[in-house]
Amino acid sequence: MNEILVVDNVTKTYGKKGEKQYQALKGINFKIAAGEFVAIMGASGSGKTTLLNILSTLDKPTTGQVFINKHDVSTLNTNQMADFRSKEIGFIFQDFNLLENLSNRENIALPLSLRGLSARRINPLVDRIAAKLGIKEILNKYPAEISGGQKQRVAAARALVHEPSILLADEPTGALDSKSARELLNTMENLNKHDGVTTLMVTHDPFSASFANHILFIKDGKIGEQMIKGEKSRTDFYHELIAHLGTEE
Amino acid sequence: MIWKLSLTGIKSRLKDYTVLFSGLVVASTIFYMFLSLAINPGFMSKDVNAPGQYLSFIFGFGIVLLAIITFVYLVYANSFLLSMRQHDYGMFMMLGAKSSKLGLLIFCETLLTGILAAILGIIVGLGLTALVSKLLISSLDLHITHFQIILPNAILWTLIFFVVVFFLAALRNVHKLVRSKVIDLLHENQKPIKISRKNGLRVVEAILGLLLLVAGYYIMGMPANAIFFIIPAALVTIVAGSYFTFDSFFTLIINLLLKKKGFAYRGIRVFTLGQLKFRIRDYTRILSVISLLFALALGAITVGLNFNSLKNQAVVSDYYDAQIVQNTPAVQKNVDKLDIKSKATYHYVETKKELFFNKADFDKKPFKYIKFSQHGNDFPTYTPTVAKTKDLVTPGNSANTRLSMMLLNGTKKIELVSPAKFNTIQGQKKFITLIRVKDFVKDYPTLTKIEKLQMTSPMISRVLSNTKPFTYQVVLGFASGFEFMGFFLGIAFLTMLASTLMFKVLSGAASDKVRYEMLYKIGTREKMLRKSIRNEIGVLFALPGALGIIDVLFGLRLFKALLPKPYMGIWLPFLIFIVLYFIYYIVTVKLYENIVLKK
Ligand SMILES: Nc1ncnc2c1ncn2[C@@H]1O[C@H](COP(=O)(O)OP(=O)(O)OP(=O)(O)O)[C@@H](O)[C@H]1O
Ligand SMILES: [Mg+2]
Repeated sequence: MNEILVVDNVTKTYGKKGEKQYQALKGINFKIAAGEFVAIMGASGSGKTTLLNILSTLDKPTTGQVFINKHDVSTLNTNQMADFRSKEIGFIFQDFNLLENLSNRENIALPLSLRGLSARRINPLVDRIAAKLGIKEILNKYPAEISGGQKQRVAAARALVHEPSILLADEPTGALDSKSARELLNTMENLNKHDGVTTLMVTHDPFSASFANHILFIKDGKIGEQMIKGEKSRTDFYHELIAHLGTEE
Repeated sequence: MIWKLSLTGIKSRLKDYTVLFSGLVVASTIFYMFLSLAINPGFMSKDVNAPGQYLSFIFGFGIVLLAIITFVYLVYANSFLLSMRQHDYGMFMMLGAKSSKLGLLIFCETLLTGILAAILGIIVGLGLTALVSKLLISSLDLHITHFQIILPNAILWTLIFFVVVFFLAALRNVHKLVRSKVIDLLHENQKPIKISRKNGLRVVEAILGLLLLVAGYYIMGMPANAIFFIIPAALVTIVAGSYFTFDSFFTLIINLLLKKKGFAYRGIRVFTLGQLKFRIRDYTRILSVISLLFALALGAITVGLNFNSLKNQAVVSDYYDAQIVQNTPAVQKNVDKLDIKSKATYHYVETKKELFFNKADFDKKPFKYIKFSQHGNDFPTYTPTVAKTKDLVTPGNSANTRLSMMLLNGTKKIELVSPAKFNTIQGQKKFITLIRVKDFVKDYPTLTKIEKLQMTSPMISRVLSNTKPFTYQVVLGFASGFEFMGFFLGIAFLTMLASTLMFKVLSGAASDKVRYEMLYKIGTREKMLRKSIRNEIGVLFALPGALGIIDVLFGLRLFKALLPKPYMGIWLPFLIFIVLYFIYYIVTVKLYENIVLKK
């Protein structure tokens, strides 16, 4: 099995030594194989964002290791981390994904120009991913001129245009209405199914999580149970998930 | 409770607050210093030595200008304050603070900030006035003796000005807060940017802007006698030209660069350009104001320093450095101290109507004088010339006039006669000795002494008031005064304009923070972010700076008639200015980075 992400006994303690400390992650272990679509669910304050920040090299674990595409990211220095992010990771955030002062095309092109691709090679790549996500018509508009759902799709295009090893999404549907949310999730599901985009999504929302084929539950800084979709339909998986959450409380 | 919250809010951004507060203190310092310069009675009448009315007009104009600049500056400083506090205010409102109570809080906060800054600024101003005047006087070799440092009137007016401005600012802040919704206050930094795409109109505007600038520069080169047309016309065309140019021309260039994907798609260059594109339109007004202020400030320093050259002018505008009409042992002792280059004595006999000179003296040592010539409105040129006998005896000839001005009873007719005839003429035997030294400036104190020692009668005093040392003394006072003023105003304006730009940039920092954060998250190296910041702010500083420099280069032509070489030595003020401006740029970049890149 080709493992894209390996999280090995990661802990995170906030606060300096001698001061009041708080252990947000208490030894996290899991693996994600290429082509998986994993959702991480957990209550507020359970450590989801903390974990995602560590996976995305924005923050360092206190102890433990993270391997992305076989690289031990915990050994990278700040510059290497930045380069690593621009190469291996695609991001979708809950909001404020796009730079308002750039056109959508320029927004999507950004990761490519960051990596030093020539303009001649950038444009076709932008067009291709835009076609895939159905946003070709709005490429020359500015983020302020499109809807929230469209914005998230532009964000997805930006996250994927440089073909990262893994797509990380933190509550990507958090700011969307249900129709736009469903559209975005369908898009993510399709990208995963047809293009093999490995995806890790953090979410509160069972509906969003049901699009994943593997759900990890995080509780008090530890991975608790897991659920696997297998051959079930999304709707069945959703109901199962709801039932599961119901027994939790 | 709410007051305590307000204090904690300020504490959490203490650094930014300190910057803002010190900016305000600087403004008040400058305001006080300028006032103390402008209404300093002794300095004006005795040191600057210029016609009183003329000067009070210049200074009246200066005060108005400074008041406007300070006002603009305070408006931007206040908007920075508001941008800093907005989020807190929004929070208080969300927590259920009554808007009337919050209004009072904001009002007091703003007013208090202003008044404290004003008071502190005056105190700093007092110290600085003492220091700067001493420093300038010694380093620029100025002769200023009547400069009074503590002026109650200046203190009072500075206070009044600040209280009034901050009262208005406080009202505005309260008004703005009451008008806006909580949600806007909390998410002020996520407001979408307005987009306009009227490129065609923009092109027309750009052409218009450039044309107006060219027209303005052309007008400034017009003959100086049209000065009452030139100044207002140049001001209007240049202000409008700058505005249109900033509003359109630079945006067009950036659009062009953005279209050239080969250029734009390099690192995060496209982001830098995007930032600039929206910045420049948002900054149009302030950039035009700053380019103009830049020109005024740089112009003030350049012209001020250039007045120095009037001193040289005084040295070359007269041929002889000393004249002796009455030799005493004391005078002789001082003459012996001089480093003499040439010395000529002319003997004459004074009769009832005429002054008969011995021609032999003139043959031995020809009398020289300075010939003036002037082309159009240019500054006159001076050429030392040997006087011919005919010129010396022709009334109205400049050689004749110059000689008679040096003589006691010089209104009588001058005649040159042969030595034989000279000895036969009956009358009072007199002489005049004319001395030229090697270095006038070095011997200037001795020369003045020689003059003083001779002034034993009103008639001698009157004759000796046309000499070079005397003219030099007058020019020295005048030039030093203007030099001091130009320097002072130049630096003051520079401080003000650069801080205005700084606060404008920093006001936007809060809303830029999210953008830089996002860029960082998607994998931009911090070094690259810093570079982008440097470039962006660099362009915002460079544009008005460059336009200001061009303004000055053309504007100096206005002084062609007043100063011998308005362009002489301009590298020095330009250098001083650019270095100071650059320091402001660096400080702005650092502060901006601190706000934007802080994690
Ligand atoms: N910078 C920090 N310093 C100290 N404690 C922190 C910091 N960031 C998070 N924490 C704490 O760590 C715990 C986990 O926080 P985290 O943000 O990861 O939760 P989350 O699962 O993302 O919650 P939510 O669903 O509300 O976003 C929380 O108890 C939080 O208070
Ligand atoms: Mg979170």
